[in-house]
Amino acid sequence: MPSDEDVAIRVRDLYYTYPGGVEALKGVNLEVYHGEVLAIMGENGAGKTTLVKHFNGILKPSRGQVLVKGIDTRHASVAELSRIVGFVFQNPDHQLFADTVYEEVAFALRNFGYPEHVVENRVRWALNLMDLWKYRSKSPFSLSVGERKRLTIASVLAYDPEIIVLDEPTAGQDYHQKEKISEIVRLLRLMNKTVVMVTHDVEFVTEHVDRVAIMAKGRIIATGPPQKELCDMQLLREARLVAPQLVKLSLILRKHGLLNELEYERRADKLALKLTEVLKGGADGGSPGL
Amino acid sequence: MVRVSGLSYRYPGSESWVLRDMHFEADAGEFILLVGPSGCGKSTFARVLNGLIPHFYGGELLGEVEVCGMDPREHPTYEFAECVGFVFQNPENQLFFTSVERELAFGLENLGLPREEISRRVEQALREYQLAELRDRSPYELSGGQQQRLAIASVMVMQPRVLVLDEPTANLDPFTAARILALVRRKTIEEGVAAIVIEHRLEVALPFATRMVVMVDGQVVDDGHPVEVIARQKHIVGKPRALELVEHLAREGIYLEVEKPSPEHVALSIVRAYRVRKLAERRRRRDSS
Amino acid sequence: MEALQAFRFKRENTVIDRADPRARVLLSLSLAALSLYAQSVEKQLLIISTVLVVAAVARRLRKLAGVMKAALPLSAIIFILNWLFGPQADPVQPLVLALRFLALSTSLSLFFMTTSPDELSLLLESMRLPREYSMLVTMSFRFVPTLALDVEAVMHALQSRGLELERGGFTKRAKNYLYLMVPLIVYEVRRSLMAAEALEARGFGSPRRPTRYQELHAKASDYFFIILLALYIVLFLVL
Repeated sequence: MPSDEDVAIRVRDLYYTYPGGVEALKGVNLEVYHGEVLAIMGENGAGKTTLVKHFNGILKPSRGQVLVKGIDTRHASVAELSRIVGFVFQNPDHQLFADTVYEEVAFALRNFGYPEHVVENRVRWALNLMDLWKYRSKSPFSLSVGERKRLTIASVLAYDPEIIVLDEPTAGQDYHQKEKISEIVRLLRLMNKTVVMVTHDVEFVTEHVDRVAIMAKGRIIATGPPQKELCDMQLLREARLVAPQLVKLSLILRKHGLLNELEYERRADKLALKLTEVLKGGADGGSPGL
Repeated sequence: MVRVSGLSYRYPGSESWVLRDMHFEADAGEFILLVGPSGCGKSTFARVLNGLIPHFYGGELLGEVEVCGMDPREHPTYEFAECVGFVFQNPENQLFFTSVERELAFGLENLGLPREEISRRVEQALREYQLAELRDRSPYELSGGQQQRLAIASVMVMQPRVLVLDEPTANLDPFTAARILALVRRKTIEEGVAAIVIEHRLEVALPFATRMVVMVDGQVVDDGHPVEVIARQKHIVGKPRALELVEHLAREGIYLEVEKPSPEHVALSIVRAYRVRKLAERRRRRDSS
Repeated sequence: MEALQAFRFKRENTVIDRADPRARVLLSLSLAALSLYAQSVEKQLLIISTVLVVAAVARRLRKLAGVMKAALPLSAIIFILNWLFGPQADPVQPLVLALRFLALSTSLSLFFMTTSPDELSLLLESMRLPREYSMLVTMSFRFVPTLALDVEAVMHALQSRGLELERGGFTKRAKNYLYLMVPLIVYEVRRSLMAAEALEARGFGSPRRPTRYQELHAKASDYFFIILLALYIVLFLVL
């Protein structure tokens, strides 16, 4: 039983209704553990973004409680909670305003009251990390889409929050940009950050994530490791999620008797080796499947 | 329907050429997936096809361009509207009215069609795109998928020969995205529309593509059958896991024939290969006994 | 903020909603004109009651009550200032002015409450306003909820980087709100460029005369309504 020190965010019986009357969250319970990489998945409208917006206080519960490192979010402002929970929004253009890239990253640090020499160090570190130091004097609006995304990540990393929320980090990104985001997630893990990501990208999830929480219609319907949850076709159907490619493939092969496993292989090269044995083994008269 | 040769373009006041010596063709019934790294010029190219370039953006356009028999340098954008339908990434910015019905009628009003014809087409579109119960709703009240369906319907109702979609599913979840692209594919099959679709998510878009074109730095670097193009360009565009599997199997000496780049097709071709081997093995044992 | 809600249209199906928007605008404008003309407290009260009755028929009484509540403070100020600085310490004139303010705001909001943005643009077009301008009106209404969401999004994005908008003194908070301006303006300018592109791509701007798909058609009930209104005006002026 994980103790209180292991739990970074605790969501207790959370209900949320938007001012227009729509009940977006219907009794959500969740624990986010320190140092884990958690993905929250589900179709648009299931409540994923609504849920994570409670983590830094943007939304306050209609009923129930959200505790961030023991602090009840109802008693803290967004600015205060943001020191602990860094939120990287899906659309970088909603927040860019400064004259230079440097100022953009310094903004949060100054808001949190850091002395100027610390600000300087942190800004340099964050910009270097995201490979943006060379643009430090340029206007944020002159950067490309991918660079602006990296800029928002740099702005958040600069003040070193313990928990990082990523809202659809791979949406609209091309192949190279996705690789960069992958590197960043790996880096965050090395830095022992707690990462919560809202995403549809099942392939990305199978590569980087420890645990998934699947949502449908305002509730969490399953939590568990992706290897297990993302091959439950019934669950995926209920949540209107598309299964990872290799899962789809493996299920068809299992139906035709080529594979017998319950947990799917998420790496293409390993699966290829298994299948080679099956195909060559079958040709030599050995028993099919493993 | 689209013939482009030696196309080069640069934005006004810019030194560098965003599009460089491009060659491109599109015919009826094709579903062409246009891919490439961010900033390679895909969106710029898309806007040449309906005259937004050079009219809305200005700049310098060189080379031969013919879309529906028209050169964008010689015909204003509104003349292209009859033949080229353009669906933008964000449905919010291409829906202008507070009722679905009015939105559908808008393009037809601009074409000056008689009211009975507009009414007929609007009613048909409401049925065909499952928007009938939503006819009085404002776009604000629709989901992302419904909005994008409405955007496509508002463009298709003008009966274009060419459909250009610039990252149409960027804000949609994969399930809804697949449905939208299936809708577009149906149009290419049923009405012979030529569709040019810009997309990053290969796993979602590939099953529908008849052809794939890759752009890098303003130039076309590959053009052909989707599976083959990916095999050649995977370091630029990435590779869906199912096709990665095909590659690894090939390295082990197992060669698969895959016509369609979906996991289902790859799985079935593996099953086929397995059955073929089992059959061959059975024959071998029978012959040797 | 709640007062603005009253100007937002929500669809209902009452006699008032089904009437031609021209009849409705005539009603609101007539009531407003009568209010400007009338000099007695009783007549102002009569107008306000008429508005309330129509609102009741249109099932929007609660909304209208909200508008009145919001207008009450300003109305009270009008009364007090006119009473203090009026020629004699006569409360009647100031009361008339205060009530007139209420009558004007409620009769005008009655129109906007019962008229959709599309109907409004049709109304303007029927008054020979060029299509571009009526579209301007419709599109403004259409984008208001979207803009409201954008403001929220920018607010949340900046708050998430430590911008304090919930605590602290009034001046500090007001200064902090200024930070929203740049991203919001840049974002909305970009949005309007994208909308302009999309309009052109849909054939807008051609010299060809566009068809008017929807037009206003007055029904018998609308003429009846107008006659009723004329009767009311006559009685009002005579009595």
